[in-house]
Amino acid sequence: MKRAVLNESVVSKRMLNLGLQRVLVSCRGLRRSVGVRRILDVARLELERGRTYLLCGPNGAGKTSLLRVLAGLDAARCDTLQFDGADIDLRNYPRQMRTQLGFVHHHPVMFSTSVFGNITFGLRAAGLSREEVRRRAAAAIAWAGIQSLANRPPQALSAGEKQRVALARVHALDPILYLLDEPTANLDGSGRIMVTRLIEAIADEGRTLLIACHDRELLGLDGVVRLHMCEGRMDAAP
Amino acid sequence: MELVHTSHEALRLLVNGDAALWQIVWVSLKISLSALLLISPLAIAAGYLLATRRFPGRRIIVVGVQALFAFPTVVVGLLLYMLLSRQGLFGSLQLLFSQTAMMIGQMIIAAPILIAFTLSAVQGADSRIRETAIVLGAGRLCTAMTVLREVRFGVMAALFNGFGRVISEVGCALMVGGNIAGMTRNMPTAIALETTKGEFAQGVALGIVLMVLALGVNFAMSWAQGAGEQHR
Ligand SMILES: Nc1ncnc2c1ncn2[C@@H]1O[C@H](COP(=O)(O)OP(=O)(O)O)[C@@H](O)[C@H]1O
Ligand SMILES: [Mg+2]
Repeated sequence: MKRAVLNESVVSKRMLNLGLQRVLVSCRGLRRSVGVRRILDVARLELERGRTYLLCGPNGAGKTSLLRVLAGLDAARCDTLQFDGADIDLRNYPRQMRTQLGFVHHHPVMFSTSVFGNITFGLRAAGLSREEVRRRAAAAIAWAGIQSLANRPPQALSAGEKQRVALARVHALDPILYLLDEPTANLDGSGRIMVTRLIEAIADEGRTLLIACHDRELLGLDGVVRLHMCEGRMDAAP
Repeated sequence: MELVHTSHEALRLLVNGDAALWQIVWVSLKISLSALLLISPLAIAAGYLLATRRFPGRRIIVVGVQALFAFPTVVVGLLLYMLLSRQGLFGSLQLLFSQTAMMIGQMIIAAPILIAFTLSAVQGADSRIRETAIVLGAGRLCTAMTVLREVRFGVMAALFNGFGRVISEVGCALMVGGNIAGMTRNMPTAIALETTKGEFAQGVALGIVLMVLALGVNFAMSWAQGAGEQHR
């Protein structure tokens, strides 16, 4: 029953998407250097709306760096970057782009307030009304199945629980592009399964995902596109 | 015998609530707490900015702030005296030998301590806290408040440390306050000057209050630092 409702909304969202730009992110000549070392040199990156991309590659390939640059956390140069049809200047990272992105650290940190306070953080920052904050936070908590964690001290959560709270925290803001850095690395059996389910749910909602990862579990997702990075370069154009 | 008598007299003053004595304590607390209250938002903001922003000259400012740490308070008093004296730049304000002048002096003395402690607390914070606030859409002020709340024990340690320094500071208070009874006579200046006039009991009583305060502040500071570490 619940599934059917979900599917219906997915279908309508997908149809909605047809009227929008097919390509969500289009980027050429993305470079980032630290000192004299070039740690990112991506000739071309194109992400289509509603798809899930796995960013694979060995340690130090530049996966984290690429996600951080897209999230506006690290400086980089870029020949051209378009996001949702708009030209973006990375040196002057626009705030409206930030609110459309959901970046989650490899090991997410929690604010020491409460799990609920973490979920509501972005909603409050967006200046929503108190009822709206409460409503969307409750929806995000239910979505992630973390009702039982809501009253636990955030620092005491396990790695898997933190990852789920972090996903709920960005899901509450409903971004169109999720940037997830190794979300299932170092997670135990059940934690890994639950996090994977949440990622599948995000994909089912028609959102775009770019997931840095080097485990096979997420490859079971439908229609994932695999990107491969090595020494800061993207191996093959998608 | 003399010492026993003096101590006995000092305790009597404390317990009986001697008006002149508690007036001095009140002046001290009022000036120091006001100075701290006024300068801390600015100093904490400066410490936060120095910790999180990269701009030319940042290094020099940080080194300068640390150098001011060891600046003798009597020299702060001297400079302030010259600025506030009748011929000074701000002489027309007629602030010399007032509580305001003492407050300004204590703000100058506390500022580098507050800045340096906040700077190191923010630098010691997990950088992902700030990044998480940013990617969740927080503006600059909200991000700063979020980070400062996460390092609140470090900020508290900064405040306790600043308070400990200004409450017992004598050089500047004497220079720009002038130890005027009922107005600018605070604990350190009273101890330094009234004792030489034979007011031993009052000096010892004030010394006891000052020591209790200093010890209390020290305990509070180690508590804040311990709580901050546990918090990690
Ligand atoms: N802030 C930084 N300073 C210096 N080198 C960095 C920094 N961030 C990343 N690097 C380097 O960039 C390369 C790519 O790192 P990263 O993006 O973390 O790779 P991955 O996530 O694929 O393991 C590594 O060689 C790393 O040492
Ligand atoms: Mg990485």
